[in-house]
Amino acid sequence: MKKMKRSVGVVAVLAVALMSGAATAETLKIGMMGPLTGPYAADGNDIANGVRVAIEVINEAGGIEGFDTIELITQDTACDPKQAVAAANNLINDEVVGVVGAYCSSSTIPASETLAEEDILMLTPASTNEMVTDRGLPYMFRVCGRDDDQAPAAVRFMKEALGAKTVFIVDDKTTYSQGLADGVAASSKEMGLEVLAHEHVNQGDKDFSAILTKAKAAAPDVLYMSLQNHSSGSLMAIQANRMGLDAAILSQDAMFHPNFINVAKEAAEGVYVTFGYTDESTEAYKQFADKFSAQYGDIGAYAIYAYDAATVLLNGIKQAGSTDPAKIKEAIMAMDFQGASKQIKFNEKGDSGSSYIAFKIENGEYRPYWHPETGYYQ
Amino acid sequence: MEVFIQQCINALTLGGLYALIALGYTMVYGVIQLINFAHGEFFAAGGYIGVLLLGVMTAMGLMESAPWMCLGVSLLLTMLYCAFLAMGVERIAYKPLRKQTRLAALISALGMSIFLSNGMMLARGPLDQPYPLEYSSGGFEFGLITINNLQIVIWVLTAVLLVALNLLVFRSRIGMAMRAVAQDKVMSALVAINTNRIIALTFAIGAGLAAAAGIMVGLYYGSVRYDMGFVPGIKAFAAAVLGGIGNITGAMIGGLIIGAVEVFGAAYISGEYKDVFAFIILIAVLYFKPTGIMGENIDDTRV
Repeated sequence: MKKMKRSVGVVAVLAVALMSGAATAETLKIGMMGPLTGPYAADGNDIANGVRVAIEVINEAGGIEGFDTIELITQDTACDPKQAVAAANNLINDEVVGVVGAYCSSSTIPASETLAEEDILMLTPASTNEMVTDRGLPYMFRVCGRDDDQAPAAVRFMKEALGAKTVFIVDDKTTYSQGLADGVAASSKEMGLEVLAHEHVNQGDKDFSAILTKAKAAAPDVLYMSLQNHSSGSLMAIQANRMGLDAAILSQDAMFHPNFINVAKEAAEGVYVTFGYTDESTEAYKQFADKFSAQYGDIGAYAIYAYDAATVLLNGIKQAGSTDPAKIKEAIMAMDFQGASKQIKFNEKGDSGSSYIAFKIENGEYRPYWHPETGYYQ
Repeated sequence: MEVFIQQCINALTLGGLYALIALGYTMVYGVIQLINFAHGEFFAAGGYIGVLLLGVMTAMGLMESAPWMCLGVSLLLTMLYCAFLAMGVERIAYKPLRKQTRLAALISALGMSIFLSNGMMLARGPLDQPYPLEYSSGGFEFGLITINNLQIVIWVLTAVLLVALNLLVFRSRIGMAMRAVAQDKVMSALVAINTNRIIALTFAIGAGLAAAAGIMVGLYYGSVRYDMGFVPGIKAFAAAVLGGIGNITGAMIGGLIIGAVEVFGAAYISGEYKDVFAFIILIAVLYFKPTGIMGENIDDTRV
């Protein structure tokens, strides 16, 4: 009996020692949400990996004072609004300070409402729909561009650079893809570009022969392809090419992914894509790109924005010296720095500006082709 | 008019592919009254094995000299692989449940479908796997109408496989045994038919046809992805029901009709409701004529 008492005593002392140890070993938890499974899994994993690289860089620079480790908690949204809200609730239960995500605008919008109830910061690296930041949520930030900047840039490109008179628009009915296609249709009307038709397909379709046959018969100058994902885009490009569609193809930021070219091959040649301009000669970009490609290979469209979003969040926490959302927000609003993707400075809405230019795919690479202000690149 | 003919060509291609997948559903249903929801995954597995084999042959330098032979060999090996895969799945997931309720096997089928598609994702990653596009580069043009070489290959292959299947089922001893097992398992066993082997063989043949469709889809559309089996699987199921589930000729006709409905629906009504048309047909058939066009149980044609 005496022996047992003693061992209880030892256990109690050990437990106290462990608990006090836990009190000094603080873990900073941040969340990431995006489509880690399903049709957009490639983009979701790019985003998660971008965040991982940002954490690595911060840790190498000495970490964040007051915390021993930074823990990343990833949640799968599968680009489904319901699952995105569940993911947001899981992250709330995990007591994260801030969240990088989501990918699909249709996930980001409902998830941000849930996170806002708990005053958790959310920085989207990829959701370009206007409503993401236009609802006035105090802790919503956007590192990528906005569709109401992308659509006019696309229409100006078609008119000014391609000299187009008519356009045939196809979208696949997501908040993002249809929102952008509607924007292009509206801008086209304003700027005097004739919209021959505005057709819709379904997310995940493989066969576009019916729509493309229609497009071919309409003989537009440009086929504007607004699809949620590069996977459908590559299939449409292949089929358009095979069908001998004469129109130039212009698409949007979702097509800015190496696998679009890997799959569509020759059919991708000559396709134009609007995407944010990234100066690849900056130190910030090189630091990101070296680390990312060494571990994860090809740099997907949104990996770089995810990296910047996570950097903004972590530096915000670091500079605020606190996990109080109001203080972090203050630190973030004061930022004005060269990120890996672009110069980052947030306005009162939480947007960080768009830098859309047109790229052209040549010899299996995205080449900057036309800038709305300065015209053609050399 | 030219547009209409082009849409007919599109419809025939898509319909042929649906027909190949639908046959597997209908044959398995005919023999053991199971809707094999993992069938779409055999189609996807076909696409994956095809791209692997073609990749190996490209690496060996065979593609340059004899591309069509490479395709033929890949096609045969893939069909064989998926046939064995299907027999394995049948052994693991369905055979132990054969004496249980039909619902148990159905749930097992759904589980197998999720298992296989996620297995493919884990093995090969979530990105699309690109197919070589050389096969689909040539073709014919008549004014606005274009017919791709690969479309012709798909038509010919579909027709050959359908004829071969008909010969097998209606003109051979194995086919006779299959029809016997479909009609009465106990009685067939009494006349010394190895029913287990016949059931396994039915799975194998269905999966082989789906695998052929998988390679064709990969070549035609340029890529395959781990989750590609789901939607075509459901549409082929709709085709099988439309034709009269359990009926081979019905599945062929059903596949062609679903393909045509989709293409013409997208072309002349609305592209966004393309999938809706296929499923409206499914609901309408289930509601008004559950036995389908050809009838579920015309004793002789049922397998």
